Amino acid sequence: MPQNAVLELTNLRKTIKGKEIVKGVNLTLYPSQIYGFLGPNGAGKTTTIRMIVGLIKPTEGSVRICGYSVAHDFVKALSNVGCIIESPDMYKYLTGMENLLQFAAMNKTISQQRIKDVVEMVGLQHRVNDKVSTYSLGMRQRLGIAQAIIAKPKLLILDEPTNGLDPAGITEFRNLIRKLAYEEGMTVFVSSHLLLEIQQMCDIVSIIKQGSVIKTATVQEIIQHDDKVEWQINDPEKAIALLMDHWQIKATQLKTNTISAEIGQHPLDKLNEFFIREGLGLTYCTAKQNTLEDLFLGLTEGDQIV
Amino acid sequence: MFNLIENEVLKMISKKRLMFVLAILVVLISIFAYGQNHTAERTKAQLAQRMGITATDDWRRLADQQLIDMKNRLDSPYRDEKDKSSLRVRIEQLQYNLDNNINPLEQSAAKFTTKFMEQSIFLFLPLLIIMLAADMVSGESSSGTIKLLLVRNVPRWRILLSKYLTLMILEIIVLFFAFVLSVIISGLFFGLGGWLAPVATGFKLVAGKLDTSAVLNVPQWRYTLMVYSLAYFVAVVVGSISFMISILVKSTAASIGIIMSTLVAGNFISYFLSDWKITRYMFMVNLRLTDYLSGSFQPIEGMTMLFSITVLLGWAVASILVSFVYFIKQDILV
Amino acid sequence: MFKKSMWYSILVIACAGFIVLASGFYQAIIVTTMVGPQPSRETPMTQTTGDSTLSSKNPNSVQLLILGDSVAKGTGDEKSKGFSGYLPDYFKNNTSKEIVLDNAGIDGLESMGLLEQLQSKRLDKLISDSDIILVSIGGNDIRSILSLNTLAKEDEFRVRLDSYQSSLRLIFKELRNANPNSMIIFLGLYNPYEKATGLEDARLLTTWNYNTQQLVEEDGKAIFIPTHDLLKFNVGKYIAQDGLHPNSAGYQALSYRISKSVETILTGL
Repeated sequence: MPQNAVLELTNLRKTIKGKEIVKGVNLTLYPSQIYGFLGPNGAGKTTTIRMIVGLIKPTEGSVRICGYSVAHDFVKALSNVGCIIESPDMYKYLTGMENLLQFAAMNKTISQQRIKDVVEMVGLQHRVNDKVSTYSLGMRQRLGIAQAIIAKPKLLILDEPTNGLDPAGITEFRNLIRKLAYEEGMTVFVSSHLLLEIQQMCDIVSIIKQGSVIKTATVQEIIQHDDKVEWQINDPEKAIALLMDHWQIKATQLKTNTISAEIGQHPLDKLNEFFIREGLGLTYCTAKQNTLEDLFLGLTEGDQIV
Repeated sequence: MFNLIENEVLKMISKKRLMFVLAILVVLISIFAYGQNHTAERTKAQLAQRMGITATDDWRRLADQQLIDMKNRLDSPYRDEKDKSSLRVRIEQLQYNLDNNINPLEQSAAKFTTKFMEQSIFLFLPLLIIMLAADMVSGESSSGTIKLLLVRNVPRWRILLSKYLTLMILEIIVLFFAFVLSVIISGLFFGLGGWLAPVATGFKLVAGKLDTSAVLNVPQWRYTLMVYSLAYFVAVVVGSISFMISILVKSTAASIGIIMSTLVAGNFISYFLSDWKITRYMFMVNLRLTDYLSGSFQPIEGMTMLFSITVLLGWAVASILVSFVYFIKQDILV
Repeated sequence: MFKKSMWYSILVIACAGFIVLASGFYQAIIVTTMVGPQPSRETPMTQTTGDSTLSSKNPNSVQLLILGDSVAKGTGDEKSKGFSGYLPDYFKNNTSKEIVLDNAGIDGLESMGLLEQLQSKRLDKLISDSDIILVSIGGNDIRSILSLNTLAKEDEFRVRLDSYQSSLRLIFKELRNANPNSMIIFLGLYNPYEKATGLEDARLLTTWNYNTQQLVEEDGKAIFIPTHDLLKFNVGKYIAQDGLHPNSAGYQALSYRISKSVETILTGL
């Protein structure tokens, strides 16, 4: 096993009531990175995350957190994890502070100062002594993060964390996650069905579809590799043929005089010069940065995404 | 473990459920005390009417006479030993009443407190315990907070054990308040005394018949203590069973419903199907443990204090086992 | 902090409570399961035989035996004398002989119980030595039906009366088997309830007493002593605090009546 892996999933499978929900997930997470776990609803994201934190026992395969097996070394493994599973359900009849004290009491390493720091970090210091039942969803979400990070975990797992947050809240949340990962050195594992969220927040993304991880790569890699360029040209047939002959680029005709191609590492300015030299009558050129969405749609073959 | 129990108790305090249970106790004890007061006064009135004198004032003469009669009876050579021991116990009681000038018709806080628990042990007390126990695990399941608890670096069995121990603590608290509230409220009606009066106990079943040969008097306070101890045992047993159902069912309302209907059905069963041998192994028909103390039980062959305690203990242990095995193994999907 | 202090008080109560309750539980089990102290005295059986050998027939004494229920025993007498106390005093006026008395009355005895007591033969020695036997029985047979409603009362009364009569026949048979010659004095029933003197109840009581008297008269050496007439208007004076048994004055009055009825027989003994 990799020396410093924070989380390592090996051939993780789960069958519930005869239906295989998770079909052999392999995943390795390294420190101080923000990982995205992307997939449509029902792809097995939550089930996988529940297996990671020991709420569900895997049918097959193993989960190791900081080298400790969740199945055999539950206490040591879970000492390194903080998480929010789905909605941040807190004790509504307690105040925010009482909630945090509950969790602090379960781990002797947590000091009063740490509780104070965490409350400030999530920006709840003004409302922390109010009952949770009076909180807005955004404040509950913050309290959820507070309880997740209170024990300074090495791995922070957030299942659909931005559900119910307003745009300002999401931005604030994103900054907080970055701070935790890059300043406190946590590995953050964020599951979401929202592509934009993952794209904006994560360093590395794993895409899960129908219980299997189908691609894992850095967000940068995925976006750069797949840059697409569109040209408006007088003679598209000739242009396609020339691109293939001189640059080994496979282009396709989109409209009457528009072609499109993935140019990969080829510099766009050289290509444009080439078209003008050949007298193809280049009138307009646009480099369209590929989004995760294109990739996702391609990979999941048009599965419904919300 | 101590921290975990503290957590659970704090949750229980904040949830107000404990307060609710105590409020029910206050209301019920008040009603019961008022009813007892009313009954006592009516009995006095009836006695006075029947005898044409105010029996309540003349009770000493009546008691004196009864005492003499019983002493005579005790001397009679034509009585067997069984009758004599219960007679001796009665004489002791009457003598105490006379010596301490206590009208046996009068209620006292001590008598009331004991009687209240004797009347509560098979239905009312279990209902209070169910209200507390049924919520302990299913409450967390239905609110989703169980997830927060189980992803800590604490093994599941410790979480469950802390909940079970908390339940045991709260059962003591309920009994403690039942006792204190009974004493205070009934004290307002009947005065606070009566703790040293002798109470007969020690009845046994021999060959399906009530055996009074070992009957003896204990002071009221000791009798009360025994009644409340048995009530605590019953509370722990009912608590364990509700606890298990609360884990299996996950919905508080459903688990309260299941265990309550079981209890009520148990009262029916013990009434209608008392001939049916298998019913005596059900926990519901064994809850009236205090009847063995007071000798007021229906003599049924094979049912003794030890039998009932063994049956109840069996249910409790089985419930705890099922609870822990299921809780540790289950997948949390809420 | 309020909740914190509440938690500590709960903890203290729970710990103390647990210890106290555990000890109570232990006591409760001990009390209900321990083996009772075995009676160290002799059994009533041997006592009875001992008594009867002591009171063997002495030609210079009149032997009086009292059988039956609580009235026979003398319950209700605040001086705790009853018939056993007063009858010998009255009898002394008519006989010079020593009066020896045995009382085998048992509270709550019904006719069936008396029959069983006789059939056990434990009393046979006493009976055979007796010159006079006073029997009071039946009150407990009829007492429990008074609370029933009129219809049920009538039916239940018939049932009780029938069984009482057959018991009574057998009681006389047992007595006569043991002693064909003694004088049997049988006490009738009275109504102790001042308030419950409905016509219906009076009729039942009369019927009961009438049937009893008929049976008693069938025996040549028995006498039925009514009590109803003596007590009817003297309930306040002759009935004890318990509202059921005669008091001291009541027992004296009845004893006087009995002694008058058997004056001649006593002098003849």
